[in-house]
Amino acid sequence: MSTATEFRVGVTLHSFTAEYLASKWSFEDMMELCSYLGGGVEIVGPAHQRGFPRLTHEFERQFKSSVERYGLTPTSYGSYADPFTLVDRDFTLDELADYTMPQLESAVNLGFPVVRLQYFAAPIVERLMPFVEAHGLKIGYELHAPLTLESARTQQLLEQITRIDSPLLGVIPDMGIFARSVPQFRIAAARARGVPEPILQRALRLWEDDVILETALPELLGMGLEPDKVLALEVMWGSFGRSDPKGLLEIMPHIVHMHGKYFSIVDGDEPDIRYREAVAALLTGGYEGWISSEYEGPGDVSSFESVQAHQTMIRRHMDDYHRSRH
Amino acid sequence: MDSPAAHRAARLQQLLSHPGIVRSLLPDEPLRPARRGGAAGIDLTVHLTSYRSLPLSCIAAIELSIDAEPIDVNRLLFVLQGNEYRVADFPALSAVWWFILDPAVIFIPRDPPLSAGAHDVAATLVTVEPYMTAGRFAFHASAMKRLTVDRSNQVSVQ
Repeated sequence: MSTATEFRVGVTLHSFTAEYLASKWSFEDMMELCSYLGGGVEIVGPAHQRGFPRLTHEFERQFKSSVERYGLTPTSYGSYADPFTLVDRDFTLDELADYTMPQLESAVNLGFPVVRLQYFAAPIVERLMPFVEAHGLKIGYELHAPLTLESARTQQLLEQITRIDSPLLGVIPDMGIFARSVPQFRIAAARARGVPEPILQRALRLWEDDVILETALPELLGMGLEPDKVLALEVMWGSFGRSDPKGLLEIMPHIVHMHGKYFSIVDGDEPDIRYREAVAALLTGGYEGWISSEYEGPGDVSSFESVQAHQTMIRRHMDDYHRSRH
Repeated sequence: MDSPAAHRAARLQQLLSHPGIVRSLLPDEPLRPARRGGAAGIDLTVHLTSYRSLPLSCIAAIELSIDAEPIDVNRLLFVLQGNEYRVADFPALSAVWWFILDPAVIFIPRDPPLSAGAHDVAATLVTVEPYMTAGRFAFHASAMKRLTVDRSNQVSVQ
């Protein structure tokens, strides 16, 4: 008999990117759609907030009135570090802090309990802690490929989190790091980009063998991969990781939010991501936060219906887990 | 019949059936004759090719041609929210944001004016997504479209 923990399933507006860019759905339309998808809403600062990184009165009213009208719960605010904004050099740490603080203020004023950080923010995170503590805001580094659980960067972040030792600083694992295979649409896209078949097959093999990009890329270039086609293969390492979902149990105390990244739902399941095991790990570990459905597959799919299918899958895995415990 | 559940279902169907446009660097907008800064030319509408807003410092390059004739980008005006910028100044414009939903206008000086009728426009926008884990990468997005000069809608900004 398990302790009946539950986590909640919501959605990030990032799932609706294709329809948003096509002006099919306005910001408010997307907010309304969230009310049919679990009610938890996550936004991407620079995609949805006019005036980013600062909060305008207009956007604050637009967001809050939608939250009220549709009975939504703000879950996580997607902040950006954007260290390569300047042409001639990276942001200094002062510039990075100056860019990040208005985003934290935006999140607090919009009613978000959590802010997603990119790992670039690590050198300034101690400067953020006084603000975070004053507002009871949680901040979490997104663990997104290539930041798998085992990666050196993730280990450094976890060391810092342990050292700072605040319940307000943690991580936001992206489900893309629990891939079992590279989605077919990415393989097709690499072919369409003109990556030669032997190089593509070798890249897939290197990815499956857990060879990191920094090692794989020189070999692929040595096989004749043209520089303008690098991105078509880099995306395998930049989007999909091969961590074991059981690893969630080890970092459970640090998880402040989850990104339910997925690329397709086929016959009710995500063929490339180990969702069943990840849901079981979250329930075993007693996770009680939110997971945002985050569709990032091809743009010619009905994202609303796809997110519905994704959430149905998660609930089925939750039910199966609880049933197996009785 | 008019239950809250039925109303909700009907509302959802309404949202799902909203029409959209085909998003492209070059939307289906006519070429508009214009006068800006005392020069005659045409206004071309363009969309940002990222999924998010970017500051102009992240626009690494613009390439344009009309009827296969390359345009000198140093002569263009880039118009955002009514404000005019030079492409050469983009590297310094890290505080000027191109909001993802806002079309921008590229003013192309033409003397003599572009002839009436359809023209083949080709464009490439090179953006830097400023947060990729793998470092600074330039993304190239290109589009080609046959667009028609619309003389009914002259734009004049002195």
